[in-house]
Amino acid sequence: MDFSLLDQHIINGLVLGVIYAMVAVGFTLFFGVLNVIKFSHGDVLMAGSFAALIASLFLSQLGEFPTWLNLCISLLFAISIMATLGTLIAQHLVLPLRGAPPLNTLLITLMLGLAIREAVRLFYPNGSNPKPFPRLLPENSWIIGTMEIRQDTAIIIVGGLLAILILNLAIRKTRLGLSIRAVAQDPETARLMGINFKRIVLGTFALGSGLAALAGVANGLYYHEIIFDRGLFLGVIGFSAAVVGGLGSLLGAIIGGFLFAFLQTIGAIWFSVPAYKDVFAFVVIIMIMAWRPTGLLSEINSDRV
Amino acid sequence: MGALMNRILLIMLSLGVFLFGCSSNETDLVKIAFIGPLTGGVSANGIGGRNSADLAIKLANADTSKKYQYELVVLDDECKPNIGIQVATKAAADSKIFGAVAHYCSAVAVGTVDVFHKFALPMIVWGAVLPEITYGNDYPEIHRVNGTMINQNDVAARFMIDQGYRNWAIIHDTTDYGKGHDKYFTESIEKYGGKVLGRFGVTADQQDFNAELTKIKALKPEVLYFGGITPIGVRVRTQMDRLNIPALFQGTSGIISDAYIEGTGNLSEGTLAFREGDSAERLPGGKMFLTKYKEMEYSSPPEAYGPFAFAAANLIIRAVEAVGPDRKKITKFLNQIKDHNSVIGKISFDDNGQNMVPLITKFVVQDGKWVIWEASDYQSGQRQLSR
Amino acid sequence: MKKQDKYLVTYCEILLTSTITTILVVAFLIVEKEMLLGAIIGLGILGFFIAKGRGIPHKIDQVYREHPCVFYLTIVSPVIIAIVFCRHEHFALFMIASVAIYATACLGLTLQLGYTGLTNFAGAAFLGVGGYTVAVLTNQSIPNVLVILLGGLMAAIIGSLLILPVLRTRGHYAALVTIAFALLFKTFLEINDTLGGPQGLKIASFKFFGLDFNEPLLGSSFYLSYVIAALLLMLVVFIITRLIEKSWLGLHLDAVRLDETVASCFGINIAAWKILAFTLGNFFIGLAGGLYAQMLGHIAPTNFTFADSLILISIVILGGIGNPLGVIPASFLIIVLPEKLQFIQEYRFLLFSILVILVLVYRPEGLLKRGLRSFYRTWGRERKLEN
Repeated sequence: MDFSLLDQHIINGLVLGVIYAMVAVGFTLFFGVLNVIKFSHGDVLMAGSFAALIASLFLSQLGEFPTWLNLCISLLFAISIMATLGTLIAQHLVLPLRGAPPLNTLLITLMLGLAIREAVRLFYPNGSNPKPFPRLLPENSWIIGTMEIRQDTAIIIVGGLLAILILNLAIRKTRLGLSIRAVAQDPETARLMGINFKRIVLGTFALGSGLAALAGVANGLYYHEIIFDRGLFLGVIGFSAAVVGGLGSLLGAIIGGFLFAFLQTIGAIWFSVPAYKDVFAFVVIIMIMAWRPTGLLSEINSDRV
Repeated sequence: MGALMNRILLIMLSLGVFLFGCSSNETDLVKIAFIGPLTGGVSANGIGGRNSADLAIKLANADTSKKYQYELVVLDDECKPNIGIQVATKAAADSKIFGAVAHYCSAVAVGTVDVFHKFALPMIVWGAVLPEITYGNDYPEIHRVNGTMINQNDVAARFMIDQGYRNWAIIHDTTDYGKGHDKYFTESIEKYGGKVLGRFGVTADQQDFNAELTKIKALKPEVLYFGGITPIGVRVRTQMDRLNIPALFQGTSGIISDAYIEGTGNLSEGTLAFREGDSAERLPGGKMFLTKYKEMEYSSPPEAYGPFAFAAANLIIRAVEAVGPDRKKITKFLNQIKDHNSVIGKISFDDNGQNMVPLITKFVVQDGKWVIWEASDYQSGQRQLSR
Repeated sequence: MKKQDKYLVTYCEILLTSTITTILVVAFLIVEKEMLLGAIIGLGILGFFIAKGRGIPHKIDQVYREHPCVFYLTIVSPVIIAIVFCRHEHFALFMIASVAIYATACLGLTLQLGYTGLTNFAGAAFLGVGGYTVAVLTNQSIPNVLVILLGGLMAAIIGSLLILPVLRTRGHYAALVTIAFALLFKTFLEINDTLGGPQGLKIASFKFFGLDFNEPLLGSSFYLSYVIAALLLMLVVFIITRLIEKSWLGLHLDAVRLDETVASCFGINIAAWKILAFTLGNFFIGLAGGLYAQMLGHIAPTNFTFADSLILISIVILGGIGNPLGVIPASFLIIVLPEKLQFIQEYRFLLFSILVILVLVYRPEGLLKRGLRSFYRTWGRERKLEN
């Protein structure tokens, strides 16, 4: 391996890790409050990036806006639309199925993901092809020693980490966060303490889906193109990251996201056929699960007898 | 109990009436099947091909000199072999279907050729490029209007060497399409004295190529050869830019689409790609095809292989007109096709049913359009390919 | 009414129900016109309500629980007649065989997921193990029946690689283990060329005591022999699954699923039972995969993606988790419905996903809910224990 490229590989891995972590945090949030896996999460992310694209194209139709304003408006638009979508999903598909086996929720959200994916493909003009995402971030490079880093890359890394940090603070310090944690710990008791269970669940889904939209926009800004079927694989990776880290733990999701990015990058460098990197990553994941069956940062695990 | 029996009897009776009463016999109606991917990742090409075949049928039905009425039966193979075999069985088992325009995905076509042979249904491949589809068997039913990836890569290699390039890095997806291109391009390029510095197989749903491209950057190739189709092509090209890789981007027939240019924007300038058959813009029939296609106002473009689907459907229509609706006769007629004029140039089938495409067209992107090399500013020396 | 007469009437009713159902199913498979399809669906729904009004589902359930032999006879005989009736309908036979094969695989999943509570999201991967084993061995001149058994065995062996993580994890964590396996299985087959790579493998036709399955059987369809084989396999696996459920084995498995802690307190060896269920389930899935590969005649990695595993899981959930009987109508729905939606072409998956969502919202327990275990007979008496 050529060590002069190490810095570049580290930067690549960091961006990947930030994006994965943002997806994984969503999974972990939903699991925390409802003990369900919402598999349409990846597709909500994709829909978020398309929402931002539409907003941004609409703005540039209206006239000349400074790019930062365009970015902010598109981002807000995407986040609000996806937060609404997340609430709707929770209200109409996830909450009614509370009594059914957890697998049903998994299947219904999977099907919903398929529906969202197909809807974007069919109803966005020429939607089965990749769409260019506007370049809304500065593209100059900073040179630090021998390392070269582009400003947009840096902004995405910092912005993503910041978003997760803010979310973490919100969950630890605010009233809403307190309620979310209470519901996650014990829904029955939380209700007895006067917490509006339904409102908290809907709020959590709005929060998670908003974060997915943010991840979708970051994804579009980084790769400069988006496509309808991106959500599927990102969803699977996000899920894996959340589970490996330990479901219900924010820090675990972040660790899981970076771990996955790290494994993929290592795999790509290591193997002569880089496609093996996914095989490699998943083999390691299976081994980790055998070693720590409830994730790296395990949940408190005691059986009530 | 009696009442129930009566009710059930009534239901069965009405069902029987339905079943036998409705199967009206339209003797002049000839059905032609179209099989391609209409859902999932490569559906853009499938829908383009479907529209083009549909256009051929509509034009034939509007033509009063035709003896038969035609109907297109559209089947989605999802680009999966098991579904492909399922729908091919469906088409082949339908005795009103006399020909099939089938398959964009090679792995599907390889699996279904047996079905077509078993049921003696003449079939013309409109997009799949794997050589084995026609050369891996000696079934008379199987034909193909598009060329194989062998011809394409041979011409591509020769041309690139002539332009003075010597060093390549290859990114290909691990589908049969990408792997095949990697194999045949490497063979040709080494024959002509070029060198492949590094080869990177990636999965078809991969999104991030930064790790692979970082390695490629260190190899400093003159050309990055990409064997795969549009969506990944767009990803690789845009991510090359992020890493400042100066190499020329050379693609295959899979990226010749408007979507590639739309997806990559300005970065597409100077991208090279090669495709079998003549360019539709250059032939009189091809121009007609493109105008008619526009007139029909289909919601999506024909894509690179639309003209092939159109030509294949036309060939079957022509065979039906010539020998009547009879699968065996149509197969025989198709096997004897020589120098047939079509929107993709002349079609002649060899003993394996493979169109012996005399021509590989070279394309380069210039000002947001795929332009034939010979007519481009790059050929005349006004612009330079990146080195 | 005398007791004997009451039995007779009930048998007649069940026989009639299964006959009508078979007729409707066969008509549904054969008919192509959308209007007729609608009529058949309407009739089916009407029939369902009539039957429900007469309490037939309940009676079927009773007979199913207490007189399995009678039950199998009343169900099987119309099916045999139906097969004889449509022995020339290639496509209908193909679909029946596919449904039977998927149902067999899902019975394996029922054993794992429904009885023991082991999540397995790699169903398609084990289907693939069976298929690839058959593909490799059939071309080696080993007796074909043995080859399919070996396919099942191989699936069980490969599955045992996952035993350790599967035993240690639960719920979503176990889901991840199998999801990871499903993903890496397909990618590995595609990249690695030893098993045909992305193009897959061709499979020689199935031979059974000198009877070539790909030759038309007694002047009928190519697929008749496969239908018979698939239905037989399904029946055998069904009976085994049902016997396991009814016996002390099933009781132990249920205990493991419902509460591991309590089960181990009662001296049940959790690990042993989990290993048994996981391995036996994979064995069934492998058998199904082997036969499926034989019928298709060609398999490729894209047949066995994560999405296909999800299809298997969907069938089990739709059928009603843990009810082997529910698996059959559910696989019919999941396999045949997308096929019947071909006429809406590229919109079919959108509609399909919406339909499944609706079913799950309005019938979260699946089509046929698994009843509670009843420890004494209720036949011919007032039911004392409400299911």
